[in-house]
Amino acid sequence: MTTSLTAVTSARDIPDLPDRARMYRESGTRLRAAMADNGVDALILLGNGNVVYATGASWPLLDAGLSHVERPVALVLADDEHPHLFMPFREGAAAESEIPSDHLHGPLFLEFDEGVDHFARVLSKLIPAGATVAVDELTGAMRRAADRLFPGGPPSDAAPVVGAAKLVKTPDQIACIRKACRITEEAVVDVQKALAPGVRQIDLSAQFVRRAFELGATANMLEAIWQVMPVTKAAGTWTTHGDLALPLLTTERELAAGDVLWTDVSITYTGFCSDFGRTWLVGDTPSARQQDQFHQWRDILDAVLKVTKAGVTSGDLARAAIAANRGQKPWLPHFYLGHSIGTNAAEMPMIGTDLGEEFDDNFVFPAGMVLVLEPVVFHDGTGGYRSEEIVVITENGYVSLTDYPYTPYGD
Amino acid sequence: MAIEILPDERALRIGRRERALAQMEAHDLDVLVLGRQANVRYFSGAPQLWVAGTRPFGPICTVVRSTGEIHLNSTWDEGIPDDIPHHHLYGLAWNPMTLIEVLKGIEGAASARRVGTDALTPSFARLLPMAFPKAELVDGELAMRAARRIKTPDEVAVLRGALRVAEDALAIAVGELRNGITEQTLAGVLFEAEAAGGVSTPATQDAAWVTSREHPWRRARRDGRVENGDLVAFSAGVLADGYVGEVGRTWPVGDVEGSAIPALYGRWKTLWDRLAAACQPGQPASDLLAAYVAANEPLPPMPVAHGLGLGFDPPVVTPELRATAAQEILEPGMVLSVTGYVWQEGVGAVFGREAVLVAPDGPEVLTHSPSWISRAGVGIG
Repeated sequence: MTTSLTAVTSARDIPDLPDRARMYRESGTRLRAAMADNGVDALILLGNGNVVYATGASWPLLDAGLSHVERPVALVLADDEHPHLFMPFREGAAAESEIPSDHLHGPLFLEFDEGVDHFARVLSKLIPAGATVAVDELTGAMRRAADRLFPGGPPSDAAPVVGAAKLVKTPDQIACIRKACRITEEAVVDVQKALAPGVRQIDLSAQFVRRAFELGATANMLEAIWQVMPVTKAAGTWTTHGDLALPLLTTERELAAGDVLWTDVSITYTGFCSDFGRTWLVGDTPSARQQDQFHQWRDILDAVLKVTKAGVTSGDLARAAIAANRGQKPWLPHFYLGHSIGTNAAEMPMIGTDLGEEFDDNFVFPAGMVLVLEPVVFHDGTGGYRSEEIVVITENGYVSLTDYPYTPYGD
Repeated sequence: MAIEILPDERALRIGRRERALAQMEAHDLDVLVLGRQANVRYFSGAPQLWVAGTRPFGPICTVVRSTGEIHLNSTWDEGIPDDIPHHHLYGLAWNPMTLIEVLKGIEGAASARRVGTDALTPSFARLLPMAFPKAELVDGELAMRAARRIKTPDEVAVLRGALRVAEDALAIAVGELRNGITEQTLAGVLFEAEAAGGVSTPATQDAAWVTSREHPWRRARRDGRVENGDLVAFSAGVLADGYVGEVGRTWPVGDVEGSAIPALYGRWKTLWDRLAAACQPGQPASDLLAAYVAANEPLPPMPVAHGLGLGFDPPVVTPELRATAAQEILEPGMVLSVTGYVWQEGVGAVFGREAVLVAPDGPEVLTHSPSWISRAGVGIG
């Protein structure tokens, strides 16, 4: 994989707002380089996050149940600097795009045989004979028409190709992520102020979305989580692994004094995601044990950040975290110590998962990768502590994107 | 929404499962491996974490027809119905081979002859034969679509609840409409109202926009600021108890002078009467396209209708799928989200979206939001 065209070495290198034309060009260059590295001549992309990356288009995302029908589709050709975009119009969608008009097309309906028949005719004109094709999803109708859609044989998986391109973020993409985070954090300030006994979980969600959209969010990415933590692991919800459940869904439950909340919210700004997580305490100040636990969490984060820079591996970060946590993994068995972020809320690499230690040890961090670190600690009787910190990997260390206090546990 | 996360009611769950198992039999499927949120909920009755947008295929829910057993990807049992026992739950995984090992262990996997999936990635196309060594991998979405297109009475009841939340939220957002407010603020008001109504999971996030006087469907202005004389469209879509409720209305800003805006609403009303009349059992869905032609209105840029349920259900009525719509015969129990859209240069657009139940004796409009045309006494919109 070729390196980034421009590199972020300090916060000063991140533009305040993205230059969308430059971002479009640089994303395209990265994607075509990844295609060349993987021997792919044509990429057909159906996944929302992949289409955002490939085309620069962004729109207010639909629910999963609707989004596979009315969805933009991208076709990226190795020898064409512009992708083709097949864009459904759902009311009010912004029409701004860097894509020339001869590459913008009407919607495709790939759930239906009639829609796929049309797509096969389109592809036969655009994809040269003998081209190697990769695709990120096959609908049932596409599978039935595979011989016509892919006359050169079964397509390969586009996910690793797009994943390779997405791994290093350009400065403008990082600006998008940081702007999404700033909107999120500003919206959360008011939510945290409203935290009090008697407030319902859903009220926090209502307040958050109101502010986030007023401040310029393009879409809500995740059902806001305000999970009330159990007093002990044993008292918590049953899980397959016996450890804590997370995330549990929001309800109309009223919060009570002393409730410890693990929060998690995410929005998009022009197609790029934020990720926010902090631990809050309802109507109370932390006990000495809770403070100690926060300091333990902070020590783990510091130990991880101390080794964080370009050239280290996921395994290096996992080991630093375990060492700082007295030999125990400070993350939940079904999650990770950290993950990347971009046009999807969680992107590769995931650190410390069932992909295994060898996978982690072989995953070398490039400069320009964005990482969300989310260690957790939980001692019975405290409600535990979890927060998320987003950093950009640089040659010498990292640049922090998260700018939110740890109140009421620390500054 | 309540103060705890509960599975869907037993009658709702069982009614859906019976329909889906019947379609598995009709499509000769021994096993279904489902990744799509709506299909997973249809079979399992378990609420899942809401994340916006498409998600890549993965084996989230597996159903074996011979036993009716359901295996579900869930790390915890909150919201899981008691007919899915703990040993049928498997936790979140990042390594596809972890999931393949789970599938291998499912009773009936080794002997299955035909296994349907609701979507597929090239990677899982390669891996799934390891779990189903004797099976042909086929499309399972057709079976799920056939099951889902007709709603059970329990489903219609839940849909009505979703529509209520959407309509209440839309009314609150319309109440904030005034000169100088922005589209973003109206969106914030709408989503806040949906959540206050108990639903923090939007189905759509378009919310509100100033319709253009210059172009049939482009955004009117970059800063999203609302001005007197604008026609502002509102679209509320929620996912409540798993079901999509959608409603749309258009309201003018400030005092309406002259006859151009009333005339445009009149055109909308004429169109809507034809659209509603097209929702007759026994008639092809393409009659909804014909309604635009008969009303002398150009077809809008968005689909004219789609089925409502746990997300999109068939049919999708759009000129791009004309032949499909002609073959799709409306049946009692279908619920459609139908869009009326008219535009006039120099005036703007009137957009309205209603939910219509195809009942045995004709269409029943499930949405009741007031519209400007009814307020102005021009007619019932």
